[in-house]
Amino acid sequence: MNRFENFKAGLIKDNPVFGLYLGICSTLAITTTVNNAIGMGAAVIMVLVLSNMIISAIRKIVPDDIRIPVFIVIIATLVKIIQMLIEAYAPALNTSLGVFIPLIVVNCIILGRAEAFASKHGVLDSALDGIGMGLGYTVAVIAMSFIREVLSTGILNIVNPFNDAQVWLNVTLIPADYTIPLFNSPVGAFITFALLAAALSAYKTHADKKAEAKAKEVK
Amino acid sequence: MKKIIHLTVFLALVSAIAGGALAYANQLTAPIIQENNERAEKQVLLEMYPKAKVDDFEIMDVTVDNPTVNKIYSYENNYIFNMSVSGYKDGTTFLVAIDKDNGQITAFKAISNGDTKGIGSKVTESAFAESLIGKESNGELDTISGATVTSTPVIEGIHEASDIVAEID
Repeated sequence: MNRFENFKAGLIKDNPVFGLYLGICSTLAITTTVNNAIGMGAAVIMVLVLSNMIISAIRKIVPDDIRIPVFIVIIATLVKIIQMLIEAYAPALNTSLGVFIPLIVVNCIILGRAEAFASKHGVLDSALDGIGMGLGYTVAVIAMSFIREVLSTGILNIVNPFNDAQVWLNVTLIPADYTIPLFNSPVGAFITFALLAAALSAYKTHADKKAEAKAKEVK
Repeated sequence: MKKIIHLTVFLALVSAIAGGALAYANQLTAPIIQENNERAEKQVLLEMYPKAKVDDFEIMDVTVDNPTVNKIYSYENNYIFNMSVSGYKDGTTFLVAIDKDNGQITAFKAISNGDTKGIGSKVTESAFAESLIGKESNGELDTISGATVTSTPVIEGIHEASDIVAEID
């Protein structure tokens, strides 16, 4: 698999959320607004790229017996630093994401990629893998939050994360009489998640069948 | 044995580097975070003085031996007290501004009240605030009839604040 393929895999086919079912806890919790999803996605990309790079750089000197504790220390440190930066420069985002920023530490995507990819590949490849997987996560949470926010409030609202008084986008897509508040609750999160995961699964089956038919023709 | 020492030293080294990085990041962000928190706290004061700006309020650096006082601010010629007092259930959190010179109550604003809705919550209504404004903060102040369990601690709180104003000067 070349580098670009690798990068693309995380985005669609092996999407960490809908394809590998990793890090679902945070996806269900923070996808009430697109704003939250963008902030969370950015935080995850930063942590994932940095942790992948650091772990890949030290992969040859880390003793095998204690690699997991070492990875966890590195990931926890990065998350804490990013949490402090968010708290200092984007306090509004910090209030709305709350406990889910520190919980990035235990997000399976990050330790999963450290263990499955970064500890076996070079720094550049690992960084690309981090960006691909991080974007995959971000696309997934944005897709979920877009559906949930629009269906439950009818309004799409995006503000500058560094200054919450600055509204970038505020459009009403559905009149207030026709909104479904259910989608703002956890039930809505599960329904949205299931539908999107099913859609990706259907797409993958379809793509596999197509490839199979092509292979038969060649024979 | 040699292996255990190797593992221990490696993990200790990684943790030490991580600790150093955290200390550095904390040193960079702590003052900004504190400033943000203070701004967020002062935001509620704007409800009392809509024309003021957040930076006009100065936090008073006095230690008060009174658990009901959360914060004291200085604004123009007033001391503003942020206080939480007991009540029938969860009590009241309120802001009261007292004139530095003559001890008059210049503004009152109840931020939250956790007592019975419709009875204790009367302290958050403007009628109660209006009944206080202009009076001597250490003089006789009217409680709300029917809601004395909620309003008496508020009045007592204002009297305590009045004593603190006298102490500061």
